[in-house]
Amino acid sequence: MPSERKIRRRVGLLIVALIGFAALPSLAQTPAAGTAEDWVSKLGGLETAPDLDIVALRQQATERIKAKAKTDAAPLKRPPIAPELLNLPQIAAEVQFDEDAAVARPESYRTLGRIADALSDPSLLGYRFLIVGHTVSTGRRENNLTLSQRRADVIREVLVNTFKISPKRLQAVGLGEEQLLDSAHPTAAINQAIQVETIGSALVASPVVPAVVPAKAGAHKKPKH
Amino acid sequence: MNRRPAGSRKGALAKGLTLGARFFSDGFMKLVRSIWLLLALAVWAPASAETIKFEDSAGLLGASCAKDIETNCRGVNLDPGRMKDCLYRNQDSLSAQCQTDYVRAFDAIQKRAAARAAVTKMCERDVAKFCAGAQKGSGEAVKCLLAGPRGVSINCNKAVSEAGYR
Repeated sequence: MPSERKIRRRVGLLIVALIGFAALPSLAQTPAAGTAEDWVSKLGGLETAPDLDIVALRQQATERIKAKAKTDAAPLKRPPIAPELLNLPQIAAEVQFDEDAAVARPESYRTLGRIADALSDPSLLGYRFLIVGHTVSTGRRENNLTLSQRRADVIREVLVNTFKISPKRLQAVGLGEEQLLDSAHPTAAINQAIQVETIGSALVASPVVPAVVPAKAGAHKKPKH
Repeated sequence: MNRRPAGSRKGALAKGLTLGARFFSDGFMKLVRSIWLLLALAVWAPASAETIKFEDSAGLLGASCAKDIETNCRGVNLDPGRMKDCLYRNQDSLSAQCQTDYVRAFDAIQKRAAARAAVTKMCERDVAKFCAGAQKGSGEAVKCLLAGPRGVSINCNKAVSEAGYR
């Protein structure tokens, strides 16, 4: 037989639970929604699709490193290799990788899931995205370029294989340390973030990859903006 | 003689009161219990129908299995094939937490992906009927369905809920 005090306590507990229950939806939304929804709004609203040639972009980065590795300016003074990427709708996700490897660490799985949540949001389903890999400015530049490309490729694979984002909607490019996100602090952690940029519509049946890749001619042809 | 009936009357009154209180509190406790049950159901029901965010399922895997992945599956990326296989192979050396959660996490990821894909299928007719202007694959169709045109099929409505679009 519950005593009066017990009953009071139970009723009190119930009232607390009821209040908590009423507050539940708003509580549940605050931590998660803040970011995923944030990303959706940042990635939406591409006004004009840029004319991007990812293959040429990769080559450009390689050429620049080869040509000017010794004489080039310090990282913070280097001009960005792909200025056309600077003004697109974009987000930077801090993904932790194993050192010197293209393996995303478990601490970052939540972030990867969040990227997938954003990309599969109804308002972004109609877009294509570029996954951009970066590295901090330590070690050899050409290694960094390769590493960032591998990391960008891995993120794309995870999004496609694990979260079933359509591969047609995703391209990947690594820019190494050629376009530092925080060029004032070349070794800051933000410089190895994974960027996601909106690059076009997924609805137009445009060839994502050119059928024939110009072998080395691309280096001479590259247009200067 | 005089006291006795009064005393017994008092006694009866007190008895009645305690009986009443007992009845009241019993009934009340039952009510309290049933409210609790309803609350539990309300919390549980939407969770069972609606799939969870990728962020939460992937986060669960990362949180529960970080050390296990570090020791057993170094160099393996988050992948429903390779990572799941690796954890399965090393099941005996996994922490108890990881052992239960990795299956749940991959299951939840797979369920949400499947639920999202199912919307296209289950709502094909409804989209053609109610959202004629929506371009295929644009997400416009989902938005249109969410706006709640009258007459959307039960299956389509269910698919939209399960995909977590609401």
